[in-house]
Amino acid sequence: MADQLADEIIAKVKAHADPEVGEITLDTDLNALGIHSLELTEIIFDLEEAHGIEIEMNTVDAWNSLKNVGDMVEAVRTLIAKKA
Amino acid sequence: MARQRIVITGLGGICALGNDVASIWDSMKAGRSGIGELSAPHLEDKPRIAAQIKQLPAFDIDRRRLVAIDRFALLAVMTADEALRQAGVSATHMDPTRIGAVVGTGIFGAETADENYWALLVENKSRASVFTVPRIMPSAPAGQVSMVHGLRGPVFGVTSACASSNHAFAAAADQIRLGRADIMLAGGADAPLVFGVVRSWEALRALARDTCRPFSADRDGLVLGEGAGIMVLESYEHATARGATILAELAGAGMSADAGDIVAPTIEGPTTAMQACLADASLAVEDIDYLNAHGTGTKANDQIETAAIRRVFGKHADSLSVSSTKSMHAHCMGASGAIEAIACIMAIRDGIVPPTANYREKDPDCDLDVTPNVAKERKVRAAVSNAFAFGGTNAVVAFTSV
Repeated sequence: MADQLADEIIAKVKAHADPEVGEITLDTDLNALGIHSLELTEIIFDLEEAHGIEIEMNTVDAWNSLKNVGDMVEAVRTLIAKKA
Repeated sequence: MARQRIVITGLGGICALGNDVASIWDSMKAGRSGIGELSAPHLEDKPRIAAQIKQLPAFDIDRRRLVAIDRFALLAVMTADEALRQAGVSATHMDPTRIGAVVGTGIFGAETADENYWALLVENKSRASVFTVPRIMPSAPAGQVSMVHGLRGPVFGVTSACASSNHAFAAAADQIRLGRADIMLAGGADAPLVFGVVRSWEALRALARDTCRPFSADRDGLVLGEGAGIMVLESYEHATARGATILAELAGAGMSADAGDIVAPTIEGPTTAMQACLADASLAVEDIDYLNAHGTGTKANDQIETAAIRRVFGKHADSLSVSSTKSMHAHCMGASGAIEAIACIMAIRDGIVPPTANYREKDPDCDLDVTPNVAKERKVRAAVSNAFAFGGTNAVVAFTSV
């Protein structure tokens, strides 16, 4: 099933990730991406803007509360649903 | 108890003259200037000159660190790596809590400032980069050097505009003498060749039109440069106990303030700093063979510095070899003292005084032997390096052979 939101988030993550990581899927561990914790926060800010949502996590918690790319997708999906 | 002698066991440098100490020194000896056409974003409206690093060398650094680091701090990290390798110092083989770093900067992470103002004010981006604060802060070079190289001792930045590196050397030597560290990295870094800083210097009307000609009658200003330099300092006992090669001794430092004008220099301030340096180093004026001048190439500096040197050195001023290597690497702001320390230490080691390049006409107000255009072979027992600054914050250091 095509998941537009997942594709969008994977594309954003890919733009920031270490090029050597290779293919990024929903199962990819965020720690394996070679992304600085603050940079992850930037991705989250981008997503907030794109979808008009507010992700309730401060910069320190951002890295710790999410394990893999799929967690990010689900967190954003839940917030979009709440907004609707 | 006798004061501990502080020696230099490692040296790293990068600037328009080269990406390491050996290539910088080769250029200096040859009197080759690194000044050329400036290439920088948003500065395409007219041709400008600067001493720009042609191409950064490949450097193995974690991507996660790289996104959080401005160019000025990256230059510091690279030169610290060169200095540590030469010194044979590694935080993984020694007690990291006994190794520290003091890195000077005269500006800040200027590229980061520009990028963010541009994004917010011109491109109407909704927010600044999340890395802006950690990239821009003047202590970032010191912090990044400690992080990349694992140094856990005293680590901090110092800032005194164009004298920052020399203040860093003095502060770092103090950490060792006060027993706070066994080994200190010390130096400076600046990467000011970006829109905001360049336009600000233009506003001061202090920039040269064609090139930097210190002490030459037809000089018309300074040229901006970028770079970094780091040295490894330790006590003489510590260096000899671990069998390190000693490059030279940091014999002393002298500091003073003009307490006058924010930009106009005085004769008294630099005079006091040079005298304090010689006293600190227990050196007589006759002991000094080479003086690396602040020598910015502005009318005011070169004339006042000449007068101050004459006042300090008296008759010996005419036996002194003087040069301004800023004629080649330009004014690297807070990194100047660190790059000029390379000139002093290599002059001592090789017995060669690097020249003042681009020199054309004698100026009766700058009548010292400024080593015009061609390096001079001479034994250099001791060398003094001047750094004066806006704010009237002067720092002079002395190096001797060991």
